[in-house]
Amino acid sequence: MTRLLLIVALLFPALAMAGTLQPLAADGIAALLKPPAHGERIIALWALDCAYCEPNLEALAKLQRAHPRDIELVIVTTDSIGRRQAIEARLQRMKMDGYPNRAYAEATTERLNFLLDPSWGGETPRVLVIRADGSRLGISGELAPAQLRKIR
Amino acid sequence: MRRLMIALLCLLSSVAFAHDGMHMEMPKSPALGASAAFDSHGRLYVVDAAEGHVRLRHSDDDGRTLSAPMPVNAVAERIYSEGENRPKIAFGPHDELYASWSQPRAAPWTGFVRFARSVDGGEHFSPPITVHHDRAEITHRFDAMAVDGHGRIVIAWIDKRDLEAAKAAGRPYEGAAVYYSWSDDGGRSFMAERKLVDHSCECCRIALARLPDGEVAAFFRGIYGDNIRDHAFAVLHTDDRAPRVERATFSDWHIAGCPHHGPGLAIGVDGVRHAVWYEASHGPAIWYGQLDPGQRPRQLLKLAGAGASHADVAARGRTVWVVWNQVGAEGYRLMLRSSNDNGAHFGAAREIATSTGAAGSPQLLQKDGHAFVAWNTASGFRLIRVTP
Repeated sequence: MTRLLLIVALLFPALAMAGTLQPLAADGIAALLKPPAHGERIIALWALDCAYCEPNLEALAKLQRAHPRDIELVIVTTDSIGRRQAIEARLQRMKMDGYPNRAYAEATTERLNFLLDPSWGGETPRVLVIRADGSRLGISGELAPAQLRKIR
Repeated sequence: MRRLMIALLCLLSSVAFAHDGMHMEMPKSPALGASAAFDSHGRLYVVDAAEGHVRLRHSDDDGRTLSAPMPVNAVAERIYSEGENRPKIAFGPHDELYASWSQPRAAPWTGFVRFARSVDGGEHFSPPITVHHDRAEITHRFDAMAVDGHGRIVIAWIDKRDLEAAKAAGRPYEGAAVYYSWSDDGGRSFMAERKLVDHSCECCRIALARLPDGEVAAFFRGIYGDNIRDHAFAVLHTDDRAPRVERATFSDWHIAGCPHHGPGLAIGVDGVRHAVWYEASHGPAIWYGQLDPGQRPRQLLKLAGAGASHADVAARGRTVWVVWNQVGAEGYRLMLRSSNDNGAHFGAAREIATSTGAAGSPQLLQKDGHAFVAWNTASGFRLIRVTP
């Protein structure tokens, strides 16, 4: 019994590492879009199939690190959470696994896109900025320096 | 103690499930990427992908009932079958059945274009072949297939060999390239591929349609200057003529990204190039226009805005049909607009079907002068007859 417990305990660190990727379904979108108490929440939308997304995530992560108390960065992939292994591997490779990460948990991708931002047609990368005053800003494509400055 | 053990084991099993990704990479339930076509006798054929097989079903009652699926590829392989990447089906002049698809390779964004043929109505298929002669482990995917007036099978796809070469030489290169090939022998083999053009979009389907003279034309998203993602038109010649690729839309939508959104094309017997496409320069929009390559499209009309996606177009005589998916908070609506004057004016948008579950891109088909819409939804494949 002790030996079994020991094995289970040894497995725990791996367990703690797992599950950084959380599902995002329609009923979780309102909470994600709720204005933060202060500063900005940046929702960085990406897809496995999007080569432009990686530099975009890096730029947003850099911005967040420059303003750690004001910017909350949430990374959301429009790919199904059923592709967890591929998503987590890519997040690790991009060194984005330390941020809150979500993946679509419903097959109705376009509907989730619409609920997140009706003025977004699903192109990636997409960034959605929610400010404490309730205002929003959506930008598609890899962010140019001038666009990054608009975020903060 | 025992309770603690049980709790721990429960936690462990959930973790084991979370890491069970190998099986999830090849979805068991069919993805919604599907294509449909009528053969010359009016039998409907549908291809989609499940468990590593492109599978073929047919219907003799306009989609109300479908046959049991037959595998196209006997040996399972990975298959792109969602979004802009879906298995394709086309018929030869004697109802030879041709199927093409893109096969993901090990590395991200890579793929091979695959092809198989059946000369007995789908009872048996040839072993799949890889269409392109280049075998580098890079992008060759987003295949599009059409049969020309001489029965040649023309396949175009998005190809990153020029991007890879530029990267190796330290040169910048925007986007990908479009390559194409054709088969003169009914799909037994394909010619060495030709480059159509550099600097195409990387992730948008290519639309193909037959011209009145029988040649196949392509309409696809390109990259102009600094990531202006407008569309190009070109005829895919199968002789010595060099392809002439011309910009055909002028929305000036700038995006350094992946629209995941290719256009649609239908060419009338009068040669009018009816086209539909998506752009978001001023918010999401689906447009209709008649292509006049090198110039702005004629009869330009914004068909739909936010929530509209993946339009298709068909023409017969002076009737033009356009369909698209309209998504909202409550789900998906399949929308139709039609014109009786060859695209000069379109009637109001009509909802012709709905789905609360996910829906694939709609595809317009024709049989005996009637239009049908193939719509693959989470609750099953549907064929909707368009009423006047």
